[in-house]
Amino acid sequence: MTNYKWRSNPNIIARLVDGNDIKTWKARQVVLKPNEACAFIIDGRIGDIVSEKIVRNIGGGIGRHIADLMGGTATDRRMLFAITGPVDLGIPFNAAMKNGSTATGLMHLKVQLRKEDIPKLLNIFANSAPLLDRNALVGLIANEIATRCIAPAMANCSNDEELRSPEFQEHLEMHTEVEMRQTFSNLGFTFLRAYISTDKTDQEKLQKLRADLDMATQTEGANADALMERIAIREAATLRRIECEVNVERAKKHGEVTIQAESELLELRKQEAVWEAELARDQGKADLRMKESSHKTAQAMELFEQVQARKRDRVQQSQEHQEQRMEKQNEIQMKMMEMAAAQGALTPEVMQEFLRQQTAQKAIDGSESSSEPTPPMSTSCKQCNAALMADWKACPHCGAVQ
Amino acid sequence: MVLSGYEGYTKGKRRAADLAIREEIQRCGTRARNHLLNVHDNAFREKKIAIAKAAKACCNTIDQLIEDVDKSPTGMSHAFFSGQSSASISVLKKLIKHDHDVIEMMTKGVNISNSVEHAFSAGKEEDEIKSLIRQCEQMMTSSRGYFSARATVLDGLRQKKKV
Repeated sequence: MTNYKWRSNPNIIARLVDGNDIKTWKARQVVLKPNEACAFIIDGRIGDIVSEKIVRNIGGGIGRHIADLMGGTATDRRMLFAITGPVDLGIPFNAAMKNGSTATGLMHLKVQLRKEDIPKLLNIFANSAPLLDRNALVGLIANEIATRCIAPAMANCSNDEELRSPEFQEHLEMHTEVEMRQTFSNLGFTFLRAYISTDKTDQEKLQKLRADLDMATQTEGANADALMERIAIREAATLRRIECEVNVERAKKHGEVTIQAESELLELRKQEAVWEAELARDQGKADLRMKESSHKTAQAMELFEQVQARKRDRVQQSQEHQEQRMEKQNEIQMKMMEMAAAQGALTPEVMQEFLRQQTAQKAIDGSESSSEPTPPMSTSCKQCNAALMADWKACPHCGAVQ
Repeated sequence: MVLSGYEGYTKGKRRAADLAIREEIQRCGTRARNHLLNVHDNAFREKKIAIAKAAKACCNTIDQLIEDVDKSPTGMSHAFFSGQSSASISVLKKLIKHDHDVIEMMTKGVNISNSVEHAFSAGKEEDEIKSLIRQCEQMMTSSRGYFSARATVLDGLRQKKKV
C-alpha cells in the first residue's frame, strides 16, 4: 500500500479528491498529521471527519477495482482534505485616506479551519476548482475585504500617525471580524487576527526626504563644527607654541641681559667701591685739612681773644687811671675852691677860669682817650679773599697763613 | 455530563477516548467563543469599544486553548502514552479525573460566557459585563493551564503530587 499525498505545495489549504479517480494497482493510504483533517463524502453524504491517523485503502488496488466491478462499493466517494492549522493570508490594498493621500500595503489575515467546519469548504468547491490554495482564497475574499473593511477604515484615517497607531489596528481588526464573520463562516473559516502593514505614504516619503536632507545638513554642520574646532585647537596650539617660543627667547634674552647687567653692575659696584674709597680718602684729607684749618682758626681766634683781652685791660687801666686822675683833679679843684672860698677869693672870674680850665682838661682827656683805640686797617685773604684784620696771622675761613 | 462514545480509556479504545475528551474540550471552547463573538460584534456596532476589546481578548484566549488542545500529545502506538510502558489502573483513574475536572471548568466557562451575552442583551452595566468577560477569560486561562498538566499525567506520571 503506497501513501497518497494530497498536499504537494505549502500554499495548498484544501483539496477535494474523487476516490474513483485513484486508479492504481496498489491500494493507496493517507497519513493525516495533527494539522490535517479529512472529511469523507460518500454518495453525497458527509461522513466521518478524521485526523491524526492513517486512512487506509482510500483508493486504487485490485480489490477495490473488483469490488467496483461487482458493485460492492459506493457510487460516489470523495475525500475533502484540509489544513486545520492557522493560515496567513496577505491581501494587497490601495486605499485613499482622509487627507487625500493614498495608502498601499498588505492586510494580513490569520484564519483557521476547524475540523468540524471542513465540510463547509464544499461551498467553495461547488463554484471553483477542487483545489484551494492561499491565492485562491485571497481572490475569494480580497474584494470584499477591500470594500467592507479597508476602504472605510482608511477613509476615517486622517493622517499617517493615526495610520500607524495601535488604536487604528485594533479598530480595523474588530471591524474586519464583524464585517467578515458571515463570509468566513460560510466558507468554513474561523477568523483569528487581522492587521495591516502599509507602505510609506507620499507624506511619509516627503518627511523621510526632509529628514534625510536635514540629517545630511546636520552631518555637514557637525563635520564643519568639528573641523572648526580642530582648526581652533590647532590655532590655539600654534599660538601657544609661538608664545612659548617667544617667552623662551625673551627669557634667554632677559637672562643674557641680566647676566650682562649683573656683570656691568658688578663693574659699577667695583667702580663705586673705588669711588667710595677715593671719596673716603678725599673726605679724610678734607677732614684733616678742615681740622688743620679749624685748629689754625682756633689759634687765630685765641690770639685775637688774647689781643682783645689785653686791649680791654689796657683800656680799662687807662680809664681807671683817668678816673683816678680826674678824681684827684676834682679833689684838687675842690680843695682849691675851698681854699679860694676860705680866702674869699672865689669870684666869678675865678669860677669862670676854673670852669674853663676844667673844660680844657676834659677836652685833653677826651682827645687822649679817643685817639688811643684806632681801628686797624682791614685786608683780604690771599686764598679765599675773605675780609681779614691787619694784625691777623691766618685766615679764619680757609686757614691759609697770611 | 454525557460523552457519547466515551468508554473510560478501556483497552483498545484509549486513543478514541482521548480524542473524544479533546474534542469535547474544543467544543466547549467553541461554544464559549461563539457567545463572546456575539457580544463582540454587537458591542462594536454599538460603539462599546471597551466591551468589544475585552470580548476579543477572551476570544484570543479561547483560540489559544483550542489550539493547545488540538495539538496536544496523545502518546505512542505501542505504549499507549509516551514515556510509559503500560498505564496502570490508578494512572487511568487519575487521567479520567483530570479530564473530568477540565471539562467541568470548561463548562463553567461556557456558562459564564452565556451569562455575558445574557447580561449584554439585558442592558446591564458596562463594568458588570466586562467583569463577567474577565471571569470567563480567567476560567479559560485556568482550563488551559489545567489541561497542560494533562500532558504531564500522560508523560509517564513523573510527578508524585496530585495534579
